[in-house]
Amino acid sequence: MSIDAPVRLALKGITKRFPGVLANDDVSFSVRAGEIHALLGENGAGKSTLVKMIYGIMQPDAGTIAWNGEIVTIANPKAARRLGIGMVFQHFSLFDAMTVLENIALGLDAKLTQRELEAKVRAVMSQYGLVLDPHRVVATLSVGERQRIEIVRALLLDPQLLIMDEPTSVLTPQEVEALFAVLRRLSAEGRSILYISHKLHEIRALCHTATILRGGKLVATLDPRVETPRSMAEKMIGASLKDISKDPNRRFGKERLLVSGLTTLAEDEFGVAIDSASFAVRAGEILGIAGVAGNGQNALLDALSGEILGTHGDAVRLDGTPIGLMGTTARRRLGLCAVPEERNGHAAVGDFSLSDNSVLTARDRLKMVLAGLINSGAAKTYTGKVIAQFAVKALGPHSTAGSLSGGNLQKYIMGREILQNPSVLVVSQPTWGVDAGAAAAIHQALVDLAAAGSAIVVISQDLDELLALSDTLLVINGGRLSKPLDVGAVSIEEIGLLMGGVHGTEDEVHIAPGGQIAVPA
Amino acid sequence: MQFRLEKRAEPSRLMLYLAPILALAITAVLGALLFSVMGYDGIGAVREIFLTPLTNPYKWQDLAVKASPLVIIAVGLSVAYRANVWNIGAEGQYIVGAIAGTGVALLTYNLSGPWILPLMLVAGMAGGAAYAAIPAFLRTRFRVNEILTTLMLTYASVNLLNYLVFGPWKSPTAMGQPQTVLFSLDQSLPYVVPGTIIHLGTPIAIAVALIVWLVMSRSVFGFQIRTVGLAPHAARYGGFSADRTVWMALLLSGALAGLAGILEAAGPFGRLVPQFPTNYGFTAIIVAFLGRLHPIGCLFAGIILAITFVGGEVAQTTMRLPFAAVGVFQAMVLFLLLAADFFVRHRFRAVEPKTSARPA
Repeated sequence: MSIDAPVRLALKGITKRFPGVLANDDVSFSVRAGEIHALLGENGAGKSTLVKMIYGIMQPDAGTIAWNGEIVTIANPKAARRLGIGMVFQHFSLFDAMTVLENIALGLDAKLTQRELEAKVRAVMSQYGLVLDPHRVVATLSVGERQRIEIVRALLLDPQLLIMDEPTSVLTPQEVEALFAVLRRLSAEGRSILYISHKLHEIRALCHTATILRGGKLVATLDPRVETPRSMAEKMIGASLKDISKDPNRRFGKERLLVSGLTTLAEDEFGVAIDSASFAVRAGEILGIAGVAGNGQNALLDALSGEILGTHGDAVRLDGTPIGLMGTTARRRLGLCAVPEERNGHAAVGDFSLSDNSVLTARDRLKMVLAGLINSGAAKTYTGKVIAQFAVKALGPHSTAGSLSGGNLQKYIMGREILQNPSVLVVSQPTWGVDAGAAAAIHQALVDLAAAGSAIVVISQDLDELLALSDTLLVINGGRLSKPLDVGAVSIEEIGLLMGGVHGTEDEVHIAPGGQIAVPA
Repeated sequence: MQFRLEKRAEPSRLMLYLAPILALAITAVLGALLFSVMGYDGIGAVREIFLTPLTNPYKWQDLAVKASPLVIIAVGLSVAYRANVWNIGAEGQYIVGAIAGTGVALLTYNLSGPWILPLMLVAGMAGGAAYAAIPAFLRTRFRVNEILTTLMLTYASVNLLNYLVFGPWKSPTAMGQPQTVLFSLDQSLPYVVPGTIIHLGTPIAIAVALIVWLVMSRSVFGFQIRTVGLAPHAARYGGFSADRTVWMALLLSGALAGLAGILEAAGPFGRLVPQFPTNYGFTAIIVAFLGRLHPIGCLFAGIILAITFVGGEVAQTTMRLPFAAVGVFQAMVLFLLLAADFFVRHRFRAVEPKTSARPA
């Protein structure tokens, strides 16, 4: 992209208000032809609202959108597509039971015959190196392949601007590289890309320009290639970042959590079952479990927390005690606490006060119940302690969990479990959707808990997080766990292959139970 | 100026309390219109229904007698509904409770002692709970929807009642009338206010509401019920079994309906007759919702519904208002209450009409 390329999209003074929140406040920036422009910001910074207005899903309350130099009103997505704006959403809108081609046909405004469409689809795929069989049924495809359908669908319209919303959050490192190659080719053809993400490494590697939003306001428009991820993160949160401080001489104690041959049944036809998982976590150790979403992470967390029971008691041992057939309350009493991925409705009850949410999981360990009656004073005191120590922004223990922002609720939930001083803590997506400042605080709390002698299991889709946090790494794919990998020694490529390089790449890789990697000829 | 309907950021506490009053006020206005259109004195009819039961002290005892079973059943239902367990067959549990208690009465007919009445009450609760256990079993074991089973079991219970009073339990001295023998003094509820018909059921209803309020707000049991109802997934994470909660909700609501049943049989009726089912079990559903599924709310809602009952009877006699018109009026109360509830979470907001017409 050259500096004097014509301006394709120019936003001026865009403002959008929702009840109780100013989602976009006087935002102005422009995207040139062939530019890959990153839109950066924390959850709730207003990125999604902004692109929804560009794609015609919402209308701005004030401000103008100029397209190729002319001020336009984009009434709906169809109008946006007519102008040449395409969008690939974070959550795909695909029908599982239909083929790739049928799904693409459904999303098109123009009517084409089956044969014309297939020819066009194949032309687009070969032009951009997108490997995909048009006749495969979507249900059999990986997430990366599903994303390619959405990209093809958008490219069929020959867009001048392609909006991509968090495209890499569900991809393996190899799939991310393949996607970037496609995006660079699009850019070279003069197509502009608006790339929404919070992954700073990727933005540095891919984008020409980055616009940073914070609290609905534009903070900076800069060249990410001359910035560091840290400098951008600090602009995103508007404060300086702290590093995780780990004791380099830390040693691990005895095995606290021992899982051997843990097998579960799938909860429904779309669920993934855990297939004879085996691993051990020692006192002081943080074990990371990496994997692409939907590969059994939730089932593994539920099986460890006691929400779903395995087949025999010996499958899970806590400090030597078989707990495989115990429910969550009994496991907590013995020292195993857990934090599931979904905050609202699973880890916390949105309509309950924080105090009541403390009763939900801490009532036994912190003696909040006497003779069947709840000691609300004890719950309130404990909740106040969590709020204070984890810097939760809340009016007090009486605030409802639903009134907190995602990051604050997560800090509260993590604090609620960590301050129970568990001997084993299992957490899923500890910092998902949490701003960088809060994420750093949560990471440090986990490291400190481990340093105090607890064993910790962190299940996450964020590889950067796992590499920074964990001592040992496992990869989950299709409900199976790989062999333990030493975080210091393992390469990203190897992790990527294990994460399910399975689909779409040249080698089919499977993780066999017990952790061996099988590569069929 | 245009108005737009939007969701409130937080439920409005003001509307939470104002909505029932608003609903009652609108009911009064619409009721007056309806009765006027039908050719009656509309305002007079509404006054007879809403005010006469309150202004005429002689009617107060009727209010207490009518409200007591409604409150007892509604308190039980409010617990079940909070757990998302939709027991709409309280009428059936009410009937079976009365049958079970009457069974004790018939067995102890030739005995005397102060222990008989408490035993009847316990049997009534056990009967109601046992009858609610059937849908609990079907739901937890075979995932059969309890809305269907509780409702259908109500009709079965009516037939059981008829079989007993027309058959084996028919009083030998009733000269062919389908009814059981009249309960003895030891088997009947004592009057608690001398010179009135207010019986032991009224203090029991108040006690039930207070105890359940305490249990729901303070105990782990109440916490479990609320958690399962609001967030089943979180309840599982918190260590509360969904199936056990269904059992507890149905057993408790069934037991309280059964208690109301035997109180009614041993009180106003004094025996079992085919006319025993008077839809208290169904009306209590309205009471539970009008009371916002809160035990103390149910206490007030029970009195309000009792007012419309007693007032309806007054209007039927003094103004010759048809029975069906009174029923429509009561249905209107529930309908408008649910409609008014919408504004607890939503509101109208004035917005500027769009003026900017930009070139496309």
